[in-house]
Amino acid sequence: MGEKKELLSGICLGAFGAYVSIEALNLPYVSEFGPGPGFFPLWIGIGLTLLSLLLILANFFALTPDESRERQSRLSIGRALVGWSGLILAIGLLQWLGFGLSLALLTLFLILVLERRPLWTALSVAIGLALGFHVIFVLALGLSLPSGPWGF
Amino acid sequence: MKRSWYCLLLITSGLVLSGTGDFAHAAAFEPTKPIEAVVHTGPGGGSDIFARAIAELMQKEKTISQRMQVVNKSGGGSAVAMSYLVEKKGDTHTIGFFTGVWVTNPLTTAAAKVMISDLTPIVRLVLEPAVFAVKADSPYKTMKDFIDAAKRNPNQLKQSGGSITGRDNLVRLVIEKATGAKWVFVSFPSGGERIANLLGGHVDAMVIEPQEAGEHIKAGNMRVIAALTDKRLPSFPNVPTLKEQGIDVPVIPQARGILAPPGVPKEVILYWEGVFERFVKSAGWKQYLEQNQFEDGYLKGPALNKFFDELAVKMREVLKEAGAKVVR
Amino acid sequence: MEALTNLLLGFSVALTPGNLFWCFVGVFLGTVVGILPGLGPAATIAMLLPLTFKMDHTAAIIMLAGIYYGSKYGGSTTSILLNVPGESASVVTCLDGYQMARQGRAGPALGISAIASFVAGTVGVIGLMLIAPPVARFALRFGPPEYFALMVLGLTMVVFLAGRSMIKGLLAMLVGLWLAGVGTDLFTAESRFTFGHMELLDGIDFVVVSIGIFAVAEVMVNMESRGGAELFRVPRGIRNLMPTLKDLKDCRFAFLNGSVIGFLIGVLPGAGSTIASFLSYGAEKAFSRYPEKFGTGVIEGVAAPEGANNSETGGALVPLLTLGIPGSNATAILLAALILWGIKPGPLLIQDHPALFWGLVSSMYVGNVMLLVLNLPLVPLFAQILRVPYFILYPGILGISVVGVYSVSNSLFDVWMLGLFGILGYAMRKLDFPAAPLVLGMVLGDGMERALRQSLMMSQGHLSVIVTRPLSATMICLALAILIMPLVNKVRSFRLKAVEQDV
Repeated sequence: MGEKKELLSGICLGAFGAYVSIEALNLPYVSEFGPGPGFFPLWIGIGLTLLSLLLILANFFALTPDESRERQSRLSIGRALVGWSGLILAIGLLQWLGFGLSLALLTLFLILVLERRPLWTALSVAIGLALGFHVIFVLALGLSLPSGPWGF
Repeated sequence: MKRSWYCLLLITSGLVLSGTGDFAHAAAFEPTKPIEAVVHTGPGGGSDIFARAIAELMQKEKTISQRMQVVNKSGGGSAVAMSYLVEKKGDTHTIGFFTGVWVTNPLTTAAAKVMISDLTPIVRLVLEPAVFAVKADSPYKTMKDFIDAAKRNPNQLKQSGGSITGRDNLVRLVIEKATGAKWVFVSFPSGGERIANLLGGHVDAMVIEPQEAGEHIKAGNMRVIAALTDKRLPSFPNVPTLKEQGIDVPVIPQARGILAPPGVPKEVILYWEGVFERFVKSAGWKQYLEQNQFEDGYLKGPALNKFFDELAVKMREVLKEAGAKVVR
Repeated sequence: MEALTNLLLGFSVALTPGNLFWCFVGVFLGTVVGILPGLGPAATIAMLLPLTFKMDHTAAIIMLAGIYYGSKYGGSTTSILLNVPGESASVVTCLDGYQMARQGRAGPALGISAIASFVAGTVGVIGLMLIAPPVARFALRFGPPEYFALMVLGLTMVVFLAGRSMIKGLLAMLVGLWLAGVGTDLFTAESRFTFGHMELLDGIDFVVVSIGIFAVAEVMVNMESRGGAELFRVPRGIRNLMPTLKDLKDCRFAFLNGSVIGFLIGVLPGAGSTIASFLSYGAEKAFSRYPEKFGTGVIEGVAAPEGANNSETGGALVPLLTLGIPGSNATAILLAALILWGIKPGPLLIQDHPALFWGLVSSMYVGNVMLLVLNLPLVPLFAQILRVPYFILYPGILGISVVGVYSVSNSLFDVWMLGLFGILGYAMRKLDFPAAPLVLGMVLGDGMERALRQSLMMSQGHLSVIVTRPLSATMICLALAILIMPLVNKVRSFRLKAVEQDV
């Protein structure tokens, strides 16, 4: 037996492949001439399923676990996911608070929660970044970024 | 994005182009900030280029007091641009540039829920004529040659074009129906590829705008065998129309014009109608029409609504005949 | 001789103070928009178009073209420094460029990309000047079957991008191909895999996927441990900030390869610079003496794709100026500009407007020199960005990613997708799936499906059309050779091992 994560990704991708194939079957396989909109997705789905099976099998027959990869601690993956949740939260806030404030809040979150730096460092970085982005992208380059009720 | 870009560039290059607003007519409405002009193609697409040309001409002719900024809302045919306009309900500083796709797209695309009747049409500006072209060394000298060849070998001849709901394909469908000939339509997303495939001999024919065809004809690469219009085109006096060649089919127009979001006040509509009434009389606009060999298609009010209604009916028929899935 | 007199005419146009100034404005703006992710040359040219109506036409086209080729110079900057691909053509640059930056070689990476851009950009102009008409005629021989074969050839690049496990590389590529198919079908207008979202009707933008999978995932990996995984070492001293003579020597072949592949792909209206950069990266790795090192920070891995995407601009102007056929959005706007000015672009442009054509060509030589002079001093400056403490850098990278994705089409939906692709990229990293094949699949999927279906429409459903045409058959054979090569190597090394064991 090889690694568990290989098995996991094999199963996930196999399921995804099956989903793609089934969806593709609902689309016409041939159209007026030549292949229809379902042709390509069907073969992609079949390819995904077969290769996932191959991945699972290869993993099954791999005698020793791959030792070259160190085990990932749950903690570190947890940290990455917390950071990602922060990003998602900030994206959700974009349309209500605008880009500047959302970025500042995300920065505060990352520095305080993940890095555990002092508050004043976090605050100054957050304000600095938000201002910097505003000056460079909005004032100098004239991009329109999502803005809050106060116009930035 | 565009707004401040302009500002930056205007300041840095010192080329202040903004109009001076000497057309402060008695109309109750007058824009107080730049106008947002929504198009459904990305930069470089037909609608984008048309809108930018109009914006430029209006400034040159000083028809509006504010600048007009083109906003690209591409996606889903015209679906993204159209639903963006619905979101802007009642906005007095937004207009959209429509084409025929705005009528046909909701007919065939289930996810495109906004119809042109949900928006506020203002004016139709141009009708883009088209011609049927083959490669210069092709054996087909008239439309009849082409149709006969297509009848002898059904589905052997090929025509390059854009999306299947676009004018190119609709033209093929109506001619096929009228004559019983059959040939193949091959879609290419970019206009460049359509021409390249004709010149490379990979397809046999295409529908093309006269201005574009002109240069290829001059260089001896292309030949035009039919005008897809009611009357012969001034630039191609020797090329007969389809009707003259005995193929009696409805002319499929490619219209371009301007509309507003739903629910805009009456005085805004009056303002735009006034602006365009002056604009279409300007020398710059006349010159633009001539350069691009567009047909003046100025139309407004009830006549414009009637045009849309009739177009929708006609297109639905054509698409159904062709076996396309019409969803509404 | 004729070319020489024409070129003299061109330089007499390009070297007037006014034209020099506009050329500089163009390449400067191009560099700026190139550095910023999301803001591309097409949008910039479109926005500046109104300013050019009052300008002399030659000056205007010189400036607009400057934006176009100038933007290709800056594209690599964020790829190398932050793993944020500035535009689709510089995704491949991330692979080795970012690794170089991690090893403290950001300066040489940025430097070599400027130099490669200059060399290949100049070669592209020479190509445009000397062989434009015959090359344009050659490009016309590419019909759908040829494009399909080209895309298949492109897909075989997965062999060079897969990393440790070919199965995983292929799986990632298939997911990329699937992603490319999301949206409205060009041929039947049917919507596929849009999950009822109108925003997906137009498909998923490539920039959204690549920034998510590269940049956001990279930030997440670095967030795993407090204090960032490790700080970038940025060596002091100007000598460490520029490519060495040895670097330049290592890149000899990469310059040539990037120039030739970029120009040839550029000439084809249906291909594009992203494909050019992938192909030249693959070619570079295939002929390298140490292919196994690619992806770990090899300087050729930066030089080849950066060269290719610059040489591509010279190529892309060939069909535009000789046939009036635009190959990309940016060239389509140049075409529109010419028409608005009353110049008829097309087969007769060179005859009718020699000053404009030769002035433009000559200005591109000048512009490329300007770009090199402009970009090289920026290298040490940009390399300093990596001195910024990680806890400022990471929120900054996330901010740039959001700005880059949002500015593609001002859509918040795209920003949500960025988050989605960020976590996908992270999962792929954790499960040892390579990211590059996914991106490759996404670039090629659309064109490949289209070309295959167009070919079969033309041939009434006979697949033979692909192998009976000489050009496409050649490319298919080449693709097969690339696929078989690693197998042969494997068998050979297996036999060597067996022999060793016998002894």
